[in-house]
Amino acid sequence: MSPWRPWRRRETTGTNRWLAAYVALVLLFLHLPLLILMAFSFNASRFSVEWTGFTLAWFRGLADRPDILSGLRNTLVVGVTSTVISTSLGTMLALALSRYRFRGRRAMESLLYVPLVTPEIVVGISLLVLFAAVGVRLGIATIVIAHVAFSISFVTVVVQARLAGMDRHLEEAAMTLGAGPWRSFRRVTLPLILPGVVAGALLAFTLSFDDYVITSFVAGSGSSTLPVVIYGMVRRNIDPTVNAVSTVVLLLTTILIYLSDRYARAR
Amino acid sequence: MPRARRLQGWLLALPAAVWLLLFFALPILILGAYSLMPRGIYGGVERGFTLEHYRRFFDPLYLAILLRTVVAALACTVICLLLGYPVAYAIARAGKWKNLLLFLVVLPFWTSVLVRTFAMIFLLRDTGLINTLLISTGIIAKPLTLLYTSGAVMAGLVYTFLPFMVLPIYASLEKHDRTLLEAAAVLGARPARGFLRVTLPLSAPGVVAGSLLVFIPALGSFLPSDLLGGAKEVLIGNLVQNQFTAARNWPFGSAASFVVMFGVLVGVAIYLRGGPDAGTRTRDL
Amino acid sequence: MSHQSRVAGRGLSRRDFLESASSALSASSALSALSALSACRPKDGGPPASGSGPLERELAIYNWSDYIGETTIADFERETGVRVTYDTYESNEDLIAKLQAGATGYDIVVPSGYAVRVLRALDLIQPIDRSALTGQWANLDPRFLGTPVDPDNQFTVPWQWGSAGLAVRTDLVKESLDSWGVFQDPGLRGKMTQLDDMRDVIGAWLKFRGHSLNSIITAELEQARADAIQAKPNLKSYVSAPVKAQLIAGDVWVAHLWNGDTAQARAANPAIEFVLPKEGSMIYLDSLCIPRGARSPRAAHAFMNFVLRADQAASISRRTGYGSPNAAALAADASLLGPPTPQEMTRLEYQDDLGAATTEWDRVWTEIKSA
Repeated sequence: MSPWRPWRRRETTGTNRWLAAYVALVLLFLHLPLLILMAFSFNASRFSVEWTGFTLAWFRGLADRPDILSGLRNTLVVGVTSTVISTSLGTMLALALSRYRFRGRRAMESLLYVPLVTPEIVVGISLLVLFAAVGVRLGIATIVIAHVAFSISFVTVVVQARLAGMDRHLEEAAMTLGAGPWRSFRRVTLPLILPGVVAGALLAFTLSFDDYVITSFVAGSGSSTLPVVIYGMVRRNIDPTVNAVSTVVLLLTTILIYLSDRYARAR
Repeated sequence: MPRARRLQGWLLALPAAVWLLLFFALPILILGAYSLMPRGIYGGVERGFTLEHYRRFFDPLYLAILLRTVVAALACTVICLLLGYPVAYAIARAGKWKNLLLFLVVLPFWTSVLVRTFAMIFLLRDTGLINTLLISTGIIAKPLTLLYTSGAVMAGLVYTFLPFMVLPIYASLEKHDRTLLEAAAVLGARPARGFLRVTLPLSAPGVVAGSLLVFIPALGSFLPSDLLGGAKEVLIGNLVQNQFTAARNWPFGSAASFVVMFGVLVGVAIYLRGGPDAGTRTRDL
Repeated sequence: MSHQSRVAGRGLSRRDFLESASSALSASSALSALSALSACRPKDGGPPASGSGPLERELAIYNWSDYIGETTIADFERETGVRVTYDTYESNEDLIAKLQAGATGYDIVVPSGYAVRVLRALDLIQPIDRSALTGQWANLDPRFLGTPVDPDNQFTVPWQWGSAGLAVRTDLVKESLDSWGVFQDPGLRGKMTQLDDMRDVIGAWLKFRGHSLNSIITAELEQARADAIQAKPNLKSYVSAPVKAQLIAGDVWVAHLWNGDTAQARAANPAIEFVLPKEGSMIYLDSLCIPRGARSPRAAHAFMNFVLRADQAASISRRTGYGSPNAAALAADASLLGPPTPQEMTRLEYQDDLGAATTEWDRVWTEIKSA
């Protein structure tokens, strides 16, 4: 796959080996707690203290927990919707900020950092106060609004980092050759910034999928997301059912990503 | 043309601007007003105007908390950078493994943060996996105190924010043409030199973005110090959290948040105006 | 569940009463300042919702997490055909903030005593139609009726009560413990934890010196702070719920813990015992309430009636480990009688709202944590 580069080979293989080992260690740090958690989801002990035997009881127990299923459904609906919205708006904003000059650009740039600075509980309380003032009914919609509000900045910052210093001659060339702005965006700019957009979207979805504090304030009856349900379950006792849910979510996402990767490569 | 372009830029920014103004700036402004009002006995505020909450914050007790928080967030940022940069670099160079590695970095974050934190407790406690392994291999005789230490808090902080460092650095590294490095190599630069002179400067915007995305939220985090530090220390995040719950002092909680937010915005403005701005500055057509 | 500032008013002194009256007054002004929050609040007190008639098809319950029987909901759904939506919260403050926001859609909430006071002052809960509950009401233990936050039980149906004390690994700790002072014993350094809760920790040290755990006297609070700071180096951590696993594993030998959580841990390791310190401790009572604007008041009453039944009340306490205010349930299942035992209950004091002094308590707490 890589072209023949005899002048780099000797020096880089050693470095690459060290780099690979280093990356493996960091990934181990990230995944070791998860592996333990998955192991405990098969542990018979109710308190996850020591290994007392293999069981699938916690997975069977999931079937009796409609709150977990509806939590998962709510989380997915909120996650996908808010990711789509925040990625679109955030990417547009990143383009505007790094490619254009317009009135209020500086103010916009400062506004962008406010959500990053604001403690989650302040975001939650202040949005609750706002929703109450308007008289909105709390539910999925209010959660999506909140999640988009705190994700936009993350997306924008990541896409901006991608845009910064990127070669713009291609776009200019496309425009000069008569491509309209939309066409040159779709054909030239978007493919170029796509890794940034994907990274931003991943971040947005991850934030949404994992948010507890803000969601707990803006959720209404029946719209609790999975983190809210799980938080309640682990606050008092590390219920192994929680380990089972986490294992299922991790396995499902792994399979999903694997399949989409296969599909993408097959094309 | 310039006018059309200006309008275009404006239109691109508009939807996000409206969303942020309506659902972020406006509610935050309401809380800003709260920080200037007397405490309501049942939460919320009472009518009136006072600077009491800001005065209260500038007390050695709370300033020490602020200082400790800033130091912890800085340390967390540096560690995330040291851990995250090589990972981002490796991912950007990983070819067909790129997507898989990227996915492995974010996967842990698709479980609840609380669940992950408890998993770390399993690892670190006296009878946890690390101690059990070390004792059974004879390296140590008595369990090390790992849980409920500042080291455990730092591990938790790094664990929480590492992807915020990796993703932006990856995004900025990925775009770089390998041919640049190869050109440097052809011109006789050793790989280390090529890295320092070519790769590192090119990834500066990613490093800047990553540092901000780690440092700023780390300032407000409260779970690691509560659960892994054994709540024996207070960070700003814990203080604010407590004001909106047990202490029921919304205005003081708002005031504390506003002091931090103001400090960070000023800091970010200075940071971005400095060196790395060269990379992010807008060029007009 | 975080028991942060759970309070149930009982045995209130005149000072406390005046304070709560004034807090009620300032609450309404607080709310008018929060015009935001008052916008969607019903304007008048209104008559009690009727508890009789055909049931609505859905019921939305908002309760503390892990605070209900294993089959309570399923049994209720099967018996009545009502579909239940069940959500949980972690603190009274979460609940109050949510209800202040208005349109949440909940039909049943479970505030602690002081939160009942707040919700009444803010006119966020509505009277109960006792005529719909006549069948089972007599099951309730009179000791838990007519608390000062609701003298005629117009708004509340007692649900569960709890207390805090020492959870001790009696197989690892040789001496017998009976005092909060154990946390100042360096012999157990690194093997003890206290709750991560301002009211519980400062309250315990106030009790240790024979003071009220609702004290707002500065000198007493200073003493409590000094005692807490003296104990701090001996503590492994301040930790609330997650300590159970560490008790069972033997990492922790003595924990300041709630009785219900201790009972849950004891189920896994019988060597864990609950000790109520001789100096006394706190008690709280949580109650079922119906928020204003509830859409299913009749189903809410049906649910109250259902959980007042002796068998249901007993199954709830068996699951949570907390005390049942249901005398008929205790009569049917003696294993639910404590700890704390009925005799020990005389040493318990209800936590009450601290009013304006909350800010001073919070400062003392921050100083303890920063020491």
